[in-house]
Amino acid sequence: MFSDLEIGVFIDELEEKIQVINDGLLALERDESNPDIIQEIFRAAHTVKGSSGIMGYQNMASLTHEMENLFDKIRHGEIHVTSEMINVLFEALDTLKALKEEVTGEGPAVDTSVVVEKIKAFVTGGDAAPEIPEPPKENPVASVKAAATVRQWLEIGDVEENVIREAELRGFQCYRIAIDIDRDCQMKNVRAFLVFETLQQVGEIIKSEPSAEDIQEGKYDISFQVLLITKEDQDQIKNLMVTISEVTEAEVQPVLLNSIEAVIEQPKAQTTTTINRPVEQENNAVKLETTERKTVKTVRVDVTKLDNLMNLVGELVIDRTRLNRFAEIFESRFGSDEMVEAINEISNHLGQVTGDLQEQIMKARMLPVAQLFNRFPRMVRDTAQKLGKEIDFVVEGKETELDRNVIEVIGDPIIHLIRNSIDHGIELPAERQAAGKNRVGTLLLKASYAESHIVITVKDDGRGMDANKIRNKAVEMGFVDRETADRMSDRDALQLIFKAGFSTKNNEVSDLSGRGVGMDVVNTAIEQINGTVELDTKLGAGTTITIRLPLTLAIIRALMVTLGNQVYAFPLTNVSETIRITDQEIRRIGNNEVIVVRDKILPLARMGRLFNCAECEESSKMYVVILGSGDKKIAVVVDKLLGEQEIVIKSLGDYLGQVQGLSGACILGDGKVALIVDVRGLVKDLGAEEVAYAAG
Amino acid sequence: MTNFNQSNQEEQIVVFQLMEQVYGVDINSVYEIIRMESITKIPRAPQFVEGVINLRGRIIPVIDLGNRFGLGQNERTQNSRIIIVEVSGQTIGIIVDSVQEVLRIPVNSIEPPPPVVNGIDAAYIRGIAILEERLIILLDQNRILLDEEKDQLLQANMGAAQA
Repeated sequence: MFSDLEIGVFIDELEEKIQVINDGLLALERDESNPDIIQEIFRAAHTVKGSSGIMGYQNMASLTHEMENLFDKIRHGEIHVTSEMINVLFEALDTLKALKEEVTGEGPAVDTSVVVEKIKAFVTGGDAAPEIPEPPKENPVASVKAAATVRQWLEIGDVEENVIREAELRGFQCYRIAIDIDRDCQMKNVRAFLVFETLQQVGEIIKSEPSAEDIQEGKYDISFQVLLITKEDQDQIKNLMVTISEVTEAEVQPVLLNSIEAVIEQPKAQTTTTINRPVEQENNAVKLETTERKTVKTVRVDVTKLDNLMNLVGELVIDRTRLNRFAEIFESRFGSDEMVEAINEISNHLGQVTGDLQEQIMKARMLPVAQLFNRFPRMVRDTAQKLGKEIDFVVEGKETELDRNVIEVIGDPIIHLIRNSIDHGIELPAERQAAGKNRVGTLLLKASYAESHIVITVKDDGRGMDANKIRNKAVEMGFVDRETADRMSDRDALQLIFKAGFSTKNNEVSDLSGRGVGMDVVNTAIEQINGTVELDTKLGAGTTITIRLPLTLAIIRALMVTLGNQVYAFPLTNVSETIRITDQEIRRIGNNEVIVVRDKILPLARMGRLFNCAECEESSKMYVVILGSGDKKIAVVVDKLLGEQEIVIKSLGDYLGQVQGLSGACILGDGKVALIVDVRGLVKDLGAEEVAYAAG
Repeated sequence: MTNFNQSNQEEQIVVFQLMEQVYGVDINSVYEIIRMESITKIPRAPQFVEGVINLRGRIIPVIDLGNRFGLGQNERTQNSRIIIVEVSGQTIGIIVDSVQEVLRIPVNSIEPPPPVVNGIDAAYIRGIAILEERLIILLDQNRILLDEEKDQLLQANMGAAQA
């Protein structure tokens, strides 16, 4: 049996290869004869076939075997890619995903026979040689030669082959790399040295032509070749090479040996072949071990461990604040003497260290947004196909890192925005042509950093939103009266789409819209993690939706207030202003208290009463915090304002769960606990009445 | 506790006092014992929840055991302590009048709760240890929070979620 660790490695590899096949298929759909893509998919299917075979997942092995067969024919030009074939291949990919879930125990058993038959039909149907059901069992050198172009590639000997096979089993890939150096290059040996240096950082060179000594002494014409074993991908290596100056061309070609199982069946045959240069082979084996250790630079850590670390840092921060206060007390008592200076110094240093520590741990929680974004190309493809639209989907900034919790929360909103763009935004090809636009619509999904925020943009060049249409619709649906709607600026009118239940599309509900996520839900989800959503649209030119998110959820800025003898925190994103009012300014509507701030009626809540605070004083002059969530605003009376502060959010725990009106707690400098007010809940509770006032 | 040779079996308990009664709780469930500190009250929380404290960076709910058992609120003194216990996977603090000692008691000295004590009270009593002149009520820490109260909390939560 295989250990959990081995299965984990297998699953990781499988996920990676599924992604490769997914991306490859999407690219293949646009460029049906691109040999690089075909090769890449072939290789991915081949790898999965090999490893799933070893692990004993027969269904997966046979499915990928068929895929490999098909791509083998495609890459040899025996079959051409059709859109029908791509659909079946996507089906195969879905089946592969389902098989993965079967392996991890997340999904039920999967029947692969239907899709396997479909693939087989392509292989045999469009095939000139149907009598060969198995992939051609050529010797490895020959098969590589078939793929090679004009270049005379260096030969792979038995020793190298052996090493490559072993490496393959460990998840490495071997590449032949040909480097052409500028003919006028002055110091050929230096260039060669640089190339070797660079390659050795990403992998292990197992052979070169001419020999390494000759190359490094500059004894070569304008090009030399190496065999590299690495975990990096082809493009990565190519990029590395061409960035070295005076390298004019770098050709990287994966080395393909026939299936991995062959090695296991014939281990003895190979031991005899090692007689030639046994020492070198041994060296290589040892080197491989070390490269493997070198390349595996990451550790999987349970998120709760990171949370715990964060907690501990939070405590350090608290201790540091206490130390600071101590220093202040000392200073006021003894003036500034050496001891006081020393305490100050310690406190400052502690502050720096804890700050850095906090930042590093926070970074450890970050994941590249690629994890999420990689799901979308397929979705866009399927959706566009279903709706008969042509879309060029551009994804930028995949490497942008986000707190993993944030990634979890924004998934659904982004899916919704993308669907919206395809469904409502981008027009049908004919319509676009008639409007003088490119038949193919462009949809951009982009993540980037902006100061202490992360900005995610969903932008399309579709028909844009019509403020008038939205006004009419809003009136029709009873959200606003005609007069108010007409008085609204276009910008305000557009904001109406964030109202719960709003939809412009009622006559033709496609099976894509109406999934229960409206713009209001997008807004709510984003706001929940202290982000904001902005809308910018131009009729006929497209819509841009910009989501701004904090880098992390763990720390926010908050306005601290007191109520009785306790401290409460309002997340600053929800605080629009603070004012002082007197008794006389409070008006009544029915039983409810309201105040008027700049011609706007705001419901007034007395927090002391709301929270049953016995010690709360009610004076004639009071502090009021104006809170907003979405387009609703309320005013809240508090005892005192303490000021702004950065707080580390902590949950109240499962035991207390979600107490009404509170969203968590934080620890103050003196070690006491302050409660964080759930502004969204509060506004929702009280703000419901506001609509009534506004209408009345 | 499924040993056959029970006569040699011992159990370690933390003995504490609450309203002139002596209670014991299995030491394995006791995380630590701390002095009283300022407790942050939680508005609108169930009545038996006293509030939350900061236990080295963790927010821990604290319940007043006297209040919880319907004995009324006890007076906070120099001797008052908060016992941090693990209760069905959760960490909570329970306020007691004083912590007396850690005792080893033979398992065979533990009697089942007397039939007189029934109803809701019996639910949190695991047994009674009789040691010479002393009588120690052994708490089943997992039942300090009763199912119906868990439901009550859950409902409070759902109410908050719906609101």
